Amino acid sequence: MVETDFLVSYLLRPLGLTIAVLAVTSLLLLYRVVRGPTLADRMVGLNTITTKMVVLIALLAVLSQQYFMVDVAVVFLMVNAVGGLILAKHYEKGDKT
Amino acid sequence: MIETFLLLMGSFIMVAGAVGVLRFPDVYTRLHASTKCDTGGAMSILLGAALQIDMPVHVRLKLIILVFLIALINPMVSHAIARGAHRGGVKPDVTFDMYERDSD
Repeated sequence: MVETDFLVSYLLRPLGLTIAVLAVTSLLLLYRVVRGPTLADRMVGLNTITTKMVVLIALLAVLSQQYFMVDVAVVFLMVNAVGGLILAKHYEKGDKT
Repeated sequence: MIETFLLLMGSFIMVAGAVGVLRFPDVYTRLHASTKCDTGGAMSILLGAALQIDMPVHVRLKLIILVFLIALINPMVSHAIARGAHRGGVKPDVTFDMYERDSD
């Protein structure tokens, strides 16, 4: 019961509520990644999920007061940009795998 | 007060973007919903996190740098995905494709 009260006290703050919303919407977007009809749908879902994860890492760093994790979020955003550009250029060449 | 408003508005934009990506019929309409949710929602949530009380100044500056990088990178990746999908042969679900007419 103690753990449940702890969780509810975090969910009632706006920062914890935003973290919960980000996690739930990422799980909803996983449906589009698994069941996308084309590769472009999967790329759209993956791009959205990675941006949500960047915001989630930054919010967890602010919430737990371990501020070095913000640097991890910046690096993860740059890796996400390079990966998305490479996937889009690969899809532009016509390989549908 | 304003940071709570920014966090809740970003959460609402995130939920709307996820519903749009799940329910829209086409790659390009899904990309439209995804870009709105990524850029606007992430920027408002990170600005709300940067305005929290009891935090050092350099962490706020890093969060604002993250907001700037998201505003720079995310529309670029969305544009690249749309261009790659159109050139890779994904037809949009419309009656007349004006981008194909213009790019001939």
